[in-house]
Amino acid sequence: MSHNNIVIIGVSTGGPIALRKLFAGLPRLNAAVVVVLHIPQGMDYRIAKGIEAVSSMPVTLAEDGEFLRAGHIYLAPGGYHLLLEGNHRVVLAAGARINFVQPSVDLAMKSLSRPLKGQIIGVVLTGMGKDGAEGIRHIKSMGGITMAQDQKSSAIFGMPKAAAETGAVDFVIPPDKIGKKLVELLN
Amino acid sequence: MNTRVMIVDDNEFIREAVEILFQSEDIPIAIAEGGKECLDQLEAGFRGIILMDVMMPDMDGWDTIREIVARGLYDGNLILMLTAKREPDAKMDGIQIYVTDYVTKPFNPSELLDMVKYYATLLNEEPPCHESQ
Repeated sequence: MSHNNIVIIGVSTGGPIALRKLFAGLPRLNAAVVVVLHIPQGMDYRIAKGIEAVSSMPVTLAEDGEFLRAGHIYLAPGGYHLLLEGNHRVVLAAGARINFVQPSVDLAMKSLSRPLKGQIIGVVLTGMGKDGAEGIRHIKSMGGITMAQDQKSSAIFGMPKAAAETGAVDFVIPPDKIGKKLVELLN
Repeated sequence: MNTRVMIVDDNEFIREAVEILFQSEDIPIAIAEGGKECLDQLEAGFRGIILMDVMMPDMDGWDTIREIVARGLYDGNLILMLTAKREPDAKMDGIQIYVTDYVTKPFNPSELLDMVKYYATLLNEEPPCHESQ
C-alpha cells in the first residue's frame, strides 16, 4: 500500500456522528487519514473509540513525531495544533489558537505541500465557524481533491459552507457519499 | 444506561417532554430551569450529558457554557445544544469546541434518544492507560 495518499478531514460540532457515518462500512483506505476535530482535551480519546467501533481501520490519537501509515486513522488530540512535516510526519505544536480553536483545520491543511506522488484529499464536515476554508483552498491549489458535507446532513452548515464558498470544493455531499467517493478515488 | 442527562431549558413544555422521553427509557434525568441552576447542579457534582437550550433569560446557553469552563466544571460532561435556530448566532470565540453536537427543535424523539445513547457510550470510555517503566 502506498503511504503517499493523505486524506485530511476537518470537523467540529456534530463531528462524532458525522465521522461515524463516514467511516461505517468503509474498507481500509489506501491512504493515511488525519482527522482534525475541534475538541477539548479529555474528549479526544472518547471520540477516537467511537470512530474505531465502526471503522475497519485502526484509530489512534496522533503522537508528536510519528510517521503516517496508510490504512490508519489519526485523530488530532485536543489542545495542540497538528502539522504534517514533509507530508508524512506528525508535529504537535502549542501556540496561539487560530480561528479561535486549537487544533486548527486551516493550519493542519496548510502544512501540507504539493506531493511528488500520491494525492491529497481535503474534506470539511459539519461545524461552526469557518475553520478549514483556507485549508481547502490551499489543497485545491496544490492539485488536490476537495469535499464538503452538504447542508441537509450537517448539524451546523458553517464550516462546510465557508469551504464551499471558496469555490475550491469539488463535491458537496453527505458523509456516507464522501466515504464512497474516498473508496472510488483511493482504492 | 447509567449516564445521567440534564435538561437545561426555561421552557416548561420542553423540560417535561424531555423528562418523559428519557424516563420511558429509564435514563436518569436532572432538570434545570436556567443557566444558574445548571451551574449549581454541576457544583453539586452532576456529571453526564447536558442538553443545553440556547435562548434563556438572564444567562443564555453560550454564557452558561463559558461559565462551566471558567469554573472548571466541564470535565466528565458532554454538552449538546438544543435550539430552535438552524444556524448558531453565537460569537465564534472558541466556546464551540465544548459543544459536541447540536439538536434543532422541534426534535425527533427517537433521534434524540439515539444521539444521547451514543454520546453516553463515548462518555463512559475509560481514558487510555499509559504504560510506565
